[in-house]
Amino acid sequence: MSSEVFKDATRMSGGRASDEAIVTMEGVYKRFKDFEALKNINFQVGKQEVVVVIGPSGSGKSTLIRCINRLEEHDDGRIIVDGTELTTDVRNIQEIRKETGMVFQSFNLFPHLTVLANIALAPRQVRGMPKAEAEALARELLERVKIPEQADKFPAQLSGGQQQRVAIARSLAMKPKVMLFDEPTSALDPEMINEVLDAIKQLAQEGMTMVVVTHEMGFAKEVADRVVFMADGEIVEVGTPSEIFDNPKEERTQKFLAQIL
Amino acid sequence: MITWLRRNLFRTWWDSIMTVVFGYVGLWVIWTVIEFVFVTGRWEIIQVNLKLLLVGRFPDELMWLVGASLTALAFWVAAVAGGSKIDISNRQSLSQRLFDYIRRFGLIVALAALLIFLAADVAALLLALQILGGVVAGRLVGLARRNVGVLGAIPSIIWHPMLASPAVALVLVTLMESTLEEWGGFLINFYMAIISIVLCFPLGVLLALGRRSSFPIIRLVTTTYIELIRGAPLFVLLLLAGVALEFFIPPSIAPDAIFRGVTVFTLFTAAYLAEIVRGGLQSIPKGQTEAGKALGLNTTKITYLITMPQALRNVIPAQIGQFISLFKDTTLAGAALNILDVLNVGTAITKQQDFLGQGLIYEALAFVALLFWVGSYVMSRESQRLEKRLGVGVR
Amino acid sequence: MSSLPSAPAKVPIWRDVRVLRWLFQIAVLAVVGLIIYWIWGNYQTNIERSSVQTDLRFLDNPASFTIPGNDFDQSSPVRAAFVQGFLNTIQVALVGIFFATILGTLVGIARLSKNLVVRSIAAAYVEVIRNLPLLLLLTFMNLAVVLQTFPRIEDAWKPLDLFVISNRGLAIPWFEGSAGQLGLLVLAGIVLAIIVVKLERARADRVGRPSRGLLLGTLALTIVPVIGWITLGYTWTLPFVDGRGTSGGLRLDPSFFALIVALVVYTSSHIAEIVRGSILAVPRGQGEAADALALSNSQKMRIIILPQAFRVAMPALGNQYLNLIKNSSLGATISYFELTQIAQITVGNGSPAVPAFTLTLLVYLAISLFTSLFVNYFNRRLALVER
Repeated sequence: MSSEVFKDATRMSGGRASDEAIVTMEGVYKRFKDFEALKNINFQVGKQEVVVVIGPSGSGKSTLIRCINRLEEHDDGRIIVDGTELTTDVRNIQEIRKETGMVFQSFNLFPHLTVLANIALAPRQVRGMPKAEAEALARELLERVKIPEQADKFPAQLSGGQQQRVAIARSLAMKPKVMLFDEPTSALDPEMINEVLDAIKQLAQEGMTMVVVTHEMGFAKEVADRVVFMADGEIVEVGTPSEIFDNPKEERTQKFLAQIL
Repeated sequence: MITWLRRNLFRTWWDSIMTVVFGYVGLWVIWTVIEFVFVTGRWEIIQVNLKLLLVGRFPDELMWLVGASLTALAFWVAAVAGGSKIDISNRQSLSQRLFDYIRRFGLIVALAALLIFLAADVAALLLALQILGGVVAGRLVGLARRNVGVLGAIPSIIWHPMLASPAVALVLVTLMESTLEEWGGFLINFYMAIISIVLCFPLGVLLALGRRSSFPIIRLVTTTYIELIRGAPLFVLLLLAGVALEFFIPPSIAPDAIFRGVTVFTLFTAAYLAEIVRGGLQSIPKGQTEAGKALGLNTTKITYLITMPQALRNVIPAQIGQFISLFKDTTLAGAALNILDVLNVGTAITKQQDFLGQGLIYEALAFVALLFWVGSYVMSRESQRLEKRLGVGVR
Repeated sequence: MSSLPSAPAKVPIWRDVRVLRWLFQIAVLAVVGLIIYWIWGNYQTNIERSSVQTDLRFLDNPASFTIPGNDFDQSSPVRAAFVQGFLNTIQVALVGIFFATILGTLVGIARLSKNLVVRSIAAAYVEVIRNLPLLLLLTFMNLAVVLQTFPRIEDAWKPLDLFVISNRGLAIPWFEGSAGQLGLLVLAGIVLAIIVVKLERARADRVGRPSRGLLLGTLALTIVPVIGWITLGYTWTLPFVDGRGTSGGLRLDPSFFALIVALVVYTSSHIAEIVRGSILAVPRGQGEAADALALSNSQKMRIIILPQAFRVAMPALGNQYLNLIKNSSLGATISYFELTQIAQITVGNGSPAVPAFTLTLLVYLAISLFTSLFVNYFNRRLALVER
């Protein structure tokens, strides 16, 4: 983890992180039967960039990030993550999944394993890390998400916010180059949302590259380098938070923001 | 007291009639049973034939094998039960726990005591003590796995076969050591059930995976197998195996009736087990697999580390249920393959010269029923208990 | 976009997901094929060695056995015996399913009774029966009850002079006349009942009070056949002892009786658990909502709880029906002439075992498939009606 690297002010706003793109999507289409979930998506995420994807439900936000680590297979176009292209090559798929971490709306912790085992699982099984080392790493990560005392409990014994922080730690344990967040706070009770958002913010400050799908507009304003607005499977508008929130150009963006703000 | 009676027995006039009628019927049944057991029943037939009913004509010099295999089985079951995290008991007082044990296993102990009493034999008592020793040892090993780090670190896929293998090996040796003519009785029902369930387990799990597979050909093959078997009556399959198995394998390895029975039970139960495990897999949310994929685990590891352990645990009660029905169904092997199982022995002893024509079929069948009933009842109670624990415990 | 390579790299064939998927499937298929090929090869060599028939020609041979209670004679072909066996299996299945459902439902509801005595007896019944092997119950019914406890025909029991019970079987009062006409009358009753229920529902909707369709429908269903039967000039007959047998009424074979009782008792204990579980599975809130709407207790049960419970119970009930049908093959152990017994006898008489038993298995498979299709259809109907 390239830890204490804070974002510097020189970072390009409106972010075309040209030669340092970690995720590149080019002309990506995704269809479910006769429904087009993604239409001609062209999109890049630069190194250490935080991209927040917003939009009405059913607009294809989740599908977009689920295509990045091949939880959904795109039908057309190209997706390249950290120089590896997603093709039907099993090795590439595994490679990309190792380099991307994902946090789900419903946590998806493994209920039959302790918190510690949840976090240590992937490093041991995928990276072949010795058990002691993996558990040390797991404890360090729990420290970072501020719940070291929960290590030996089972997920069901934790609150939603705690579970989601464990899920973040679990993804970080693979030392990913990019983190994908799929509505990480939507399943949480209101009083727990902030603890999770704080953990994500902290990650952003440490320089993690992230794509975040969320309905938390305050969070988007505060943390995003770029905001992507999606509707009907298309990217409608991209810009800095101020561009999108204060000065939306497209009609659909204006309508959406008017409804939720 | 009065209000209790009113509420539970005489709520309305209709209720009162029901209470009186059914109360009368119930008391009559209880009285008849008591009278039969203690007054009219002629239990010499059981006492004389006790060994025949339990182990057939098993040679005396090999009886140690029976003892050893039963002890190994007891050890295995106790170790698995003691080692599972499901079983973490709440902090109960000693008397509460004692009461709990009596409620759970009192019937088994009572049955054992009855058998020892009927046998009136020191060897039987020693055998019982040996089995009890197996239980205690198993319990300790199970606790050790839970509490000692080194043992706890052994992965389940090694640990469980390690516990099971001595028992399974001894049961197999016992099954093979003696000839068919010598074998018989309740033990053969029990051992056929044990061997079949152990053998069908891997097959059933593979079939379940096949049926859930995203590969159409594999799904087709496994579904066909499962549905064909489930559409067929077990009894007809056993009959078929009895007369026709030698047509499908080289004549040199044509097996005896017990092996035929075990083969059919294994292939048959695997199909049902597959459906149970499939149900378990279906109950695991899709997010579990997705989380595994997102972490970079491959499909095999996701199955082995994430979905399968959860699925198998969720369906433990159903698996026990399947084992109970297999246990009861072993009587069919007696009818279809002429194996001298306990039911066949039970009806045969009423035709012995000493007992012929005395109408002792009630006594014989009652004893057989008792053996099956205690076994099945205790197992089904345990499975209900597990079901509750699985529901509320760590999940 | 400088970071984008101009074209995707070619995927090596041994790492391509699509190729791997098919390779794996073909490998599994090959293994399965090999096993089948091995078994088939063994079958061929063994057949050749022992020179037995492999086709269904044996169906035309004379059966050379008789089926009691049937005009089937020794020279009839094996085919006819199989047909008779099939009909007997169906008969056992239908009668068994009918009584097992009624008994099972009653016991299941009784297990939830507020009356302690009723509840305990139902629980004891279920717990005792469920944990015994079916074959034990069947053996008990046959050897202990029918053959040992039932009296000889000379001193047959005649409760209320309606039944004649002996070790020769059981005779019950039955209708006199043709079964066809009776069937037509029942059909007419059903049609009328449906019409009555529909009319009553419509009327109730118009007038605005709860429908009494259930009551009127049942009435129509029973009255039509009874009145029709009497006006056609038929009555029923009571059985009586006639020498070494019985006359009048309907005579049930002792083995049929034993098989039916064992199957019904055994299956009802399982059905009772399903019924109980399904009623408990209806969320408590449903009952509370019904109470809040001031529905009466019976309305609550009839309109709210039972329809939902029935929907939950349906798949499991279907399974029990399938089990009962398959378990009826145990009739062979007490010489009831159903399908399995016929197969066993013809094989004993020299019919080739593999084709005979394969045919038997296929018939059971067909019955099972048909039953599950029926249950599924019913299930879907229920699910749709609910929504």
